[in-house]
Amino acid sequence: MEEELLRLQKAAHEDLAALSEIKELEPFRVKYLGRKSEFTSLMRQLGSVPKEDRPRLGKLANEIKVDLEEKFSARKSELEQSAAGPSDSLESDLTLPGRAIPFGKLHPVTQIMEEICSIFEGMGFGVAEGPDVETDFYNFEALNIPKHHPARDMHDTFYINESLLLRTHTSPMQARIMENQEPPLRMIAPGKVYRCDSDITHTPMFHQVEGFLVDKKVSFADLRGILGVFISKMFDENTAMRARPSFFPFTEPSAEIDIACVMCGGKGCRVCKHTGWLEILGAGMIDPEVFKQVGYDPEVYSGFAFGLGVERIAMLKYGINDIRLYYENDLRFLSQF
Amino acid sequence: MKFTVNWLKQYVDVNISSSELADRLTMAGLEVDGVEDIFTDLDGVKVARIVTVSSHPNADRLVVCKVDIGGKESQVVCGAPNARAGLMTAIALPGTTLSSGLAIKKSKIRGQLSEGMLCSEKDLGISEAHAGIMELDWLQESGQDLADALELKDTVIEVDLTPNRPDCTSLIGIGRETAVFCNTTIKHPVSVEELPTLTGEGCRFSVTVEDADCPRYAARLLKNVTIGPSPWWLQKRLLAVDLRPINNVVDITNFVMLEYGQPLHAFDFKKLGGGAIVVRKARQGETMTTLDGVERQLDPQMLMICDAQKPVAVAGVMGGGNSEVDEQTTEVLLESACFDPVSVRRTARNLNLGTDASYRFERGVDPQLAPRAMERAVRLLCELAGAEVEPNGIDFAEGVKNPEAVNLRVQRTNDLLGYDFSAAEISKMLTDIEIGVEQLDSDTLKVTPPSFRVDLEREVDIVEEVARLKGYNEFPHTMPLVPMSASLPDPARSLRKDVAAMMTSLGFNEAINYSFVTPKHFDMLGLDENDSQRQTVRLLNPLGEEQSVMRSMLLPGLLENVRRNVNYQSADIRLFEIGKCFHPVSDAEQPKEQTSLSVVMSGNRLPGAPVLHFGQEKGDFYDIRGVVETLLRELRICSICFDINPASAPKYCEPHTSMQLSTNDVNLGHCGKIGKAVLGNFGIKQDVYYLDIDMDILLSLTRESKKFVPLPKFPSVKWDIAVLVPERIGAGEIVQAIKDLGIDLVENAELFDIYRGETIGEGRKSVAVKVTYRSSECTLDDETVVKEHNKILDMILTRFEGQLREE
Repeated sequence: MEEELLRLQKAAHEDLAALSEIKELEPFRVKYLGRKSEFTSLMRQLGSVPKEDRPRLGKLANEIKVDLEEKFSARKSELEQSAAGPSDSLESDLTLPGRAIPFGKLHPVTQIMEEICSIFEGMGFGVAEGPDVETDFYNFEALNIPKHHPARDMHDTFYINESLLLRTHTSPMQARIMENQEPPLRMIAPGKVYRCDSDITHTPMFHQVEGFLVDKKVSFADLRGILGVFISKMFDENTAMRARPSFFPFTEPSAEIDIACVMCGGKGCRVCKHTGWLEILGAGMIDPEVFKQVGYDPEVYSGFAFGLGVERIAMLKYGINDIRLYYENDLRFLSQF
Repeated sequence: MKFTVNWLKQYVDVNISSSELADRLTMAGLEVDGVEDIFTDLDGVKVARIVTVSSHPNADRLVVCKVDIGGKESQVVCGAPNARAGLMTAIALPGTTLSSGLAIKKSKIRGQLSEGMLCSEKDLGISEAHAGIMELDWLQESGQDLADALELKDTVIEVDLTPNRPDCTSLIGIGRETAVFCNTTIKHPVSVEELPTLTGEGCRFSVTVEDADCPRYAARLLKNVTIGPSPWWLQKRLLAVDLRPINNVVDITNFVMLEYGQPLHAFDFKKLGGGAIVVRKARQGETMTTLDGVERQLDPQMLMICDAQKPVAVAGVMGGGNSEVDEQTTEVLLESACFDPVSVRRTARNLNLGTDASYRFERGVDPQLAPRAMERAVRLLCELAGAEVEPNGIDFAEGVKNPEAVNLRVQRTNDLLGYDFSAAEISKMLTDIEIGVEQLDSDTLKVTPPSFRVDLEREVDIVEEVARLKGYNEFPHTMPLVPMSASLPDPARSLRKDVAAMMTSLGFNEAINYSFVTPKHFDMLGLDENDSQRQTVRLLNPLGEEQSVMRSMLLPGLLENVRRNVNYQSADIRLFEIGKCFHPVSDAEQPKEQTSLSVVMSGNRLPGAPVLHFGQEKGDFYDIRGVVETLLRELRICSICFDINPASAPKYCEPHTSMQLSTNDVNLGHCGKIGKAVLGNFGIKQDVYYLDIDMDILLSLTRESKKFVPLPKFPSVKWDIAVLVPERIGAGEIVQAIKDLGIDLVENAELFDIYRGETIGEGRKSVAVKVTYRSSECTLDDETVVKEHNKILDMILTRFEGQLREE
């Protein structure tokens, strides 16, 4: 009895594997699982086997039955699936594209600007914005750049009239905010700035993010710390940075911050003019003259400020090689980011 | 500021490579902008002596030269007028490629063999001189490399100087910084001990300084001057930094300016009326022609150098043509002076005349430099122009102030820098760069800056110097200890971000256009002469008329973007911009900066979505209206009315496809289809739909708060209405009227079909509305619904001249 059961199972497995068409399924079922099948008749004979063998053989027969039913049904769906060839229905050609509806994209400058803002917001900085058309006072005088200071040469300024101009940097926001608030202060100020300069590497309008922090005992080392965190988040955790002495009338000491060239990793290439370094921002300790203008006592408070060029960072992050692309609003450009 | 490494080596022992030098200068705050090796390509150019010159048998203008190149004889055909036997000159041998790209080959010129080319300075890229081949009469030997014989090979370094370091506008200044990191000291061409004392006694000239803007004026008289070309070594220095050699006197003043940073001026003494120098402000109406040949109108703020009668130079900016040194000059009055930076800067600005001299004066020239630079120039004039200097001269120095000492607190320095310097360490660093230091007490150093460091005036300036000398990268990275605080929210910024996020979800790309535009846009839009949008903020100094006014609206910029994209074969366009528009208030005040959202849509409805699934239907008015509805719905703003009034539509849209968005008489914006004529003006040949929203007003509107409504417990019932109404009735009005009835059981009413056709007849349409009824208290029975449904039907039939559609 046991032998016969196992033989039947083996034969059924072989037959099942040999099946190749759906129409062969039914004869198989009749042959092995039908009412009049050999298996069914064997099951019926179970009643006549010795009592002590009955449980064991009954269990075996049942297992075989379940096994054959499962294998049959699996084979059945296999055959049915492979039989479902091409038909007229759209859903039958799965190589067709999905019904994807494209989103639009934020301008790369906006994306980078938001990324910069959120890094500083994460460090507790607030965000404030100021006017594009600024007074000579806030753009220059309040920042320790009097009328006939040669530092005005560093700013090719668009003027509206004697006293109004298009801000040449976002730094006026330092004075505007400090004038109205008391330390401690942690702020960033993103926005458009303007310089009358237009060539292959300059557009007359671009974007900056200004940042500053004022409190008691804020140091140059703190400036390095904050900017170090920013650079590691904006670029790569291991991006090397260096600070160089520079000059801004509203900071003292003043620094320019370079990062290791993102194109060549610091080995030297065309982008970094073979120096291995890329200048990405200007910074420094806020000059006591600026504090005096807004009524802070420089003996009590100290602070740092920095200014980032957004387009420059976008160029480095995305590999954009022509600054003029930013304001042509070509969809082939905008849709890339 | 440009200099060459070989030149620098005259003053300081540079014991590091050029690239390391450049790097160290950059890290010292003198940012190197470029490093260039010059004359590296002259290997095939040798010194040659012309042995014989004979006429060319087949060409009148050419000669055939036999030349000797270190004992080897060659034949060269030459067209230079100065080719003569015995001349030492330069020859480019076959195989050489000159910097102009000209490749020298052995060839026959009109039948005569030519084994190379005799060169002018221009041929070799040395200068622009091209009158003849080079004349190198001071050389003895032929055959050597020209670059070696003339010591041409060098490295030019260009430093991008910040305005606070005028002391580095000179070789000596750069040398001083270099000496610090080369651990050496600088060699001055003239030492202080050698300077003569000038008392003015027995001088043939006088100096009168009438204005405080001239703190120092030194002058000496030189006679028997022979004007001529400068020697090669001097010309070479000037050429390397892009200065054109002129004559020995002018070249020497330029050379000493580059060497010391002290601008000098040489007057032809015989042209100075009364032998006098008077430093005074210009008189009203005075004019003077400067050396560049331009007649200048002078104003009474300008400081002038004058003789007894007239201005002869603009102080610190440029000399006058009336006192210029020329070939006949034999007596030179040499000026070495110091002028007030603001005065020079203002004058240079007003004359629109920037020079090497004004560049230095307006940043601040060391007032102690004048006698040194003067002595150096006098010696060179004696040596190179055969001059004899009159024994005495004048040195007016009454305006010179000595630099004031400042107290530097060590603790303050450490607090500001986040470091732990000792007083001794600071003293050592400062002393190394010629800053005087005296320790007053354990925390205080009395610091006296040298006169050339005009930028060191305050304690914080010295703190920066300490940081610079230590090296910025030696300082640690620390995080500031600031009390916790929460920043104030900025609702305008949040709204902008929310709207931008919605617009991108709707498939629109963000554009950013320049804030300044052409005023022609208003004509292109067909705006009336007195349209308020034409009130713009104008730039005084725009880059061009195309960018001369601040934009008062965003739409024209986006229309320009549409044209550009269509031209570049991206004809399916969805763009938006959120940006500022500028509206003048008054001349004195800052303009109103108002933020707008503008949207344009053209071409396919869903650009970028698979055509197979979505087809190629063009977007239309309902797409742009849908954008408005989505924005308002998602912002939870319910108070907006959509007004359709063709008469008040903006000039640039099709009046019958335009809609105004308003609330309580406040205009939030409008949307619609741009008119054909306007599209033509912008060069666009396809339909464009637009939306304009005033973001400031949008921000001011009340937004419904989020409040939970319990989910319905009972099922709804949906009944349809189909009515025939006259064409002029808006189907939307019918739906609105149903909602306005305020029937409690009506949960929703939605249009689901509009039908026009023969069976209905002309001038009418069938409007089908699905009305959803629901009660919060029970399941509705037909009887109840019929009652309400009939109210609706009655209203439609009477109010909209409706007629039930026969089924």
